[in-house]
Amino acid sequence: MQVTVELFGIPRARAGVSQTVAHGSTLGDVLLDLARRFPALGETCIQDRSLKPGYTANLRGEKFVTDPTLRLREGDAILLLSVDAGG
Amino acid sequence: MPATPGYHGRYLRIDLSTGLSTEIAIDAECLRDYLGGSGLGVALLLREGAAEFDPLSPQAVLAFVFSPLVGSPVTTSAKFAVVSKSPLTQRLNDSLASSGFALAGKKTGYDALVLVGRTSELSILVIDNDQVSLQSAADLQGLSNGDTQRLLQARLGNEFQTATIGPAGERLVRYATISHDGRHAGRGGSGAVLGSKNIKGLAVRGTRRVQWSQPQALTSLAKQLSERSFGPATAKYRELGTASNLLTFNRLNVLPTRNFQQGSFAQAAAISPEELNATRKRSRSSCVACTIGCEHLYSTKGAGGSVRLEYENLFALGPLCGIGDSDVILEASRRCDELGLDTISAGGTIGFAMECAERGLIDAPWLRFGDGPALLRALDLIVSGEGLGELLALGSRGMALEIGQDSIHFAPQVKGLELPGYDPRGLQMMALGFAVSARGADHNRSGAYEVDFSESVDRRDVGPESAYLAVETEDKAAIMDSLILCKFLRGIFADIFVESAEILRLVTGWDVTAKELRATAQRIVTAKKRFNVLAGWTPAEDTLPQRMLRVAIPEDARSQLSTERLAALIKAYNLARGWGEEGWPPDTKPHFL
Repeated sequence: MQVTVELFGIPRARAGVSQTVAHGSTLGDVLLDLARRFPALGETCIQDRSLKPGYTANLRGEKFVTDPTLRLREGDAILLLSVDAGG
Repeated sequence: MPATPGYHGRYLRIDLSTGLSTEIAIDAECLRDYLGGSGLGVALLLREGAAEFDPLSPQAVLAFVFSPLVGSPVTTSAKFAVVSKSPLTQRLNDSLASSGFALAGKKTGYDALVLVGRTSELSILVIDNDQVSLQSAADLQGLSNGDTQRLLQARLGNEFQTATIGPAGERLVRYATISHDGRHAGRGGSGAVLGSKNIKGLAVRGTRRVQWSQPQALTSLAKQLSERSFGPATAKYRELGTASNLLTFNRLNVLPTRNFQQGSFAQAAAISPEELNATRKRSRSSCVACTIGCEHLYSTKGAGGSVRLEYENLFALGPLCGIGDSDVILEASRRCDELGLDTISAGGTIGFAMECAERGLIDAPWLRFGDGPALLRALDLIVSGEGLGELLALGSRGMALEIGQDSIHFAPQVKGLELPGYDPRGLQMMALGFAVSARGADHNRSGAYEVDFSESVDRRDVGPESAYLAVETEDKAAIMDSLILCKFLRGIFADIFVESAEILRLVTGWDVTAKELRATAQRIVTAKKRFNVLAGWTPAEDTLPQRMLRVAIPEDARSQLSTERLAALIKAYNLARGWGEEGWPPDTKPHFL
């Protein structure tokens, strides 16, 4: 299954891209795929199949998600971003 | 009796009308109940009866308040609070700033410097340990913050630290700031309060240090905190700065644009820090005693040097006014810093005026969304007081009350304080935080947006069952603002109350617990509310502008609030606070009154 991943803030800086395509049927699968393809992103933001503290994901701009077992749909958009919004 | 470690146990009350200063003891019980910073500030203002006075009158009280952690090795602790009644909101205002002024101010030997009265001519208040004097500031009249601070240090020496107002404070602009070394006690107009006292600035120097209860253990804990502050929880602030919120908020359609008429901005990418990093020189800076280093400064064209850019000045002087030119935004930010204007209120007020001009409610055809030179001209008018400037200097609520014609419905303010860069329709926990906050629409006294950016709620459909989460974020902020610790540290704490209690135990020797600090937070928030009640608060002012309650964010129909839903959230919040449905706190006075 293919999903679009949009990256913001530190995840974008580490991956060096603002958007990419990733593969997986769950959020954990997608994070694993991203960590493999973007080692710097994986090192900073991803641990195994989960996001490290300080980072979160958003599904389709609709809701924040972190459960690695979350089932995804073909064509879903996942946003990766820092948790802290303050400033 | 020796003072409690971490404190001097007294404040200095300076009557500027007579030149007399008085040392006043603060008992240990009061210090433990209100800690320092914002908490101790509101306690002192209540003691002084400040709620009843016009904030620009000679009787008004303005307090510079330090904290038990100032001077300690704990990272980010070199901070001070400026607390007064706000000329913008007529309610409590507590604004924080950082760096050397806090260290030098506390070393004068006082936990707070409390100013009342008014000098007969523009003056500098010099506090050198317990020696207090007033010096003429006639030669500094009209000067920018930067020039004033440079001249004062040349005159007095580098051991003095200064906090000053720019021309905006002198002219009593209702959202004028107090500045120190490029940082600002920014919100609510404390600069106008200082200006109304004819004080251009304070210069402080001292040699009196406090003791720590367990200095070795405190140093060890501070070292651990510093190491943790280098970790992933603060990477965003170190590497990109708060401005990196811009593209995230834009994607989620909660980036206030053109006076909250839109939730996204077509030119966001062009003004983002990602773009600025690629096209401009960037440098980093930090406050004294900080290990994070969140300040990102960008080079400007011409002789402007570099300008600090945060999310709030970027959004307010950019999308909120429809400005997509980063040169204009940086120049507008520089002017605000030098003139002494709160960037959020300046951008919010000008954006509101742009919409008023567009609707034909004011005669200012030159003032249009997206017009950079018009934005810069408006900033200059605010400070000169010419033309439209007199109206703009009142803030958006004051303007709307003058203009009438239902313009108050789209004035972007709560209690008179302009909204920061979070559209509450798409961040509804933050909507509650804005509505109930003692100082008005504010993201620093209520961090409720943290809940919106989590799995705890549906940010576009928040229900009253979640109102307690707004209470929790407000309580955390009350503790951090009273200790005082930088909010950017919050991500490194597993439990802010537990770890703050440990820090406070080592500083003071008190057997303070997390449970006690939770009660302290509630006490401080209630004291702020009590101040507002004394100043005339009524339940009707805990609300949002009608625009936020009638119209969805155009890009996202689900981002919609209603009067009824907001009222239900506020009622649940008030009950969670123990204030009754309408929000009146129990009618008890603090023990020291």
